[in-house]
Amino acid sequence: MARLIIILTLFCLVAAAALAKVDDITKGPIAEQERLKTVTALKAVLPAFNNDIDKDAKDLVVGQDKKGRDIKIKFYTGKMDENQVGTAFQVIAPDGYAGDISILMGVGPDGKVSGIEIISHKETPGLGNKIQKAEWKNQFKGRSIDDGTKLAVKKDGGEIDQFSGATISPRAVVNAVKRGLEIYEKEYGNGG
Amino acid sequence: MDNVIEILLILVSTIFVTNFVLARFLGICPFLGVSAKIETSIGMGMAVVFVITLAALCSWLIEKFVLVPFDIVYLRTIVFILVIATLVQFVEMVIRKTSPALYNALGIFLPLITTNCAVLGVALLVVQKEMDFFPMLFFAVGASVGFTVALLLMAGIREQIVHARIPKVLQGTPISLVTAGLMALAFLGFAGLVKM
Amino acid sequence: MADREIMSSEIADVQPISPPSTLNLKEVAGDFVRGLWEEIPLFRLVLGMCPTLAVTTSATNGVGMGIATAFVLTSSNIMISILRKIIPDMIRIPAFIIVIASFVTITDLMMAAFTPELHHSLGIFIPLIVVNCIVLARAEAFASKNTIIRSAADGIGMGIGFTLVLILLGSTREILGNGTWFDLPVLTGIMGLFNYEYQPMIVMILPPGAFIGLGLFVAMANMIEERRKGKK
Repeated sequence: MARLIIILTLFCLVAAAALAKVDDITKGPIAEQERLKTVTALKAVLPAFNNDIDKDAKDLVVGQDKKGRDIKIKFYTGKMDENQVGTAFQVIAPDGYAGDISILMGVGPDGKVSGIEIISHKETPGLGNKIQKAEWKNQFKGRSIDDGTKLAVKKDGGEIDQFSGATISPRAVVNAVKRGLEIYEKEYGNGG
Repeated sequence: MDNVIEILLILVSTIFVTNFVLARFLGICPFLGVSAKIETSIGMGMAVVFVITLAALCSWLIEKFVLVPFDIVYLRTIVFILVIATLVQFVEMVIRKTSPALYNALGIFLPLITTNCAVLGVALLVVQKEMDFFPMLFFAVGASVGFTVALLLMAGIREQIVHARIPKVLQGTPISLVTAGLMALAFLGFAGLVKM
Repeated sequence: MADREIMSSEIADVQPISPPSTLNLKEVAGDFVRGLWEEIPLFRLVLGMCPTLAVTTSATNGVGMGIATAFVLTSSNIMISILRKIIPDMIRIPAFIIVIASFVTITDLMMAAFTPELHHSLGIFIPLIVVNCIVLARAEAFASKNTIIRSAADGIGMGIGFTLVLILLGSTREILGNGTWFDLPVLTGIMGLFNYEYQPMIVMILPPGAFIGLGLFVAMANMIEERRKGKK
């Protein structure tokens, strides 16, 4: 009986050692992939920049959630040769059809949206997931907080397309972008 | 009151909206293998609820107090599956003592709960989603109850199918899969009910 | 109870044990080919369905999962065959699990590092390879009782068979449900030539399509097998 346990333990130790080595080898590449993913998304929502954008990122507290915990958002500042070209940050739409939609949005120094990227979502393929289409996302470019009621889906009296049979997903994204613009206004706008 | 509602939402979402068998594709092998009779399905379902809840609990604790603090998260798969294997052995012993009839009825499918993707799946999901303790508990209960619900529905249908005339090539696995597909179609109707 | 009998007997299938010193090429070839039709996973060997149904939303995902599983299957078959004389019978299942789980973790880490998109698409089903019944079943039924070369052939054969099924199912679901094949606009492109916008059958990408699709394929495989047996 003891012999069996010893053999099994030996097995576990050998396996653990081998895996530790593989983990070591892959740690670097995995972190790099994460970084690349972030930078690629940032490139899609901001005008051209050439700084080490993820190193210049700042965490800011933008409010409290229902449980009173701080909500922190990472703000990425893109610079082209020391000139600020835009700020990007993540907003979450909790009212997607099937759950949270995570959106990365870029805002230029003029307060106008320079682009949005859908980072993650669970919307229905063929219906809600059309929010990922470039033509749809491009509708947000140039929008600002001054757009007011124009920044809404057409059904709600605004200018953004919704898809037939899938209004909830676009509406969630629009509301999230609106909130994002309000957050940006508070942190970076004329008052801040 | 808020907490009660949150718990209800978790349960509804895991049992109906994203049923673990019909929407997440976890636990298919036993789902097709055991669902021939309603009685065995009830027994299997209860065993699975017990195993999944315990497995999720142990995995969550191990992740929180061992894997993360010691930075050995890469050992997650090995550790979780070994924990599950041990739990199943334990449940096997308990069932053998308390209900030999059920033990015989479940046969090889009892130890096979170890390879039930739903068990490891739920364990992985609760740590990946970084759930708090109580949501995690109810997520596990809901997931396993959802599995049992799907299992019972399938058993009910299959007990009737036996009396129907099915073309030879469709007999057995194919007709079960098609039935499951129709059930999945029905459950799609729950989509959007709860936002989780 | 016909289903259970078929599945249990195939899990417990015992292959003839060949003397360790002879390398019988015909046998090895047989082991390899067996996984490609006679005992092809999913269509004839009713195992490994969870990842199949979940992952085959596109042909690319199918290929990715197939190769990952084939790698785990072959590596663990080889390793278990190497260790088969050392592992005491009582603890063979936990020992197999440790070996398989290790290779799964290696695959998981490697994919996260070098194929991040595939890793993200396959998600939780990569670690779930460890409970893919095919892997444990082959370890128990074959690798623990046969030579290294035969076990490797068995693993590769089954792995390729599994991949082929995944590609078949994945392609069907992707073409019908999305109009594309390996992300190339096939149906949408062809119909576009006739100025017709292909409206995809979304249900194929959703769970019902997976179940019904696989069910019909298994039925077709049964049909082909019946014809083959009829001819003999």
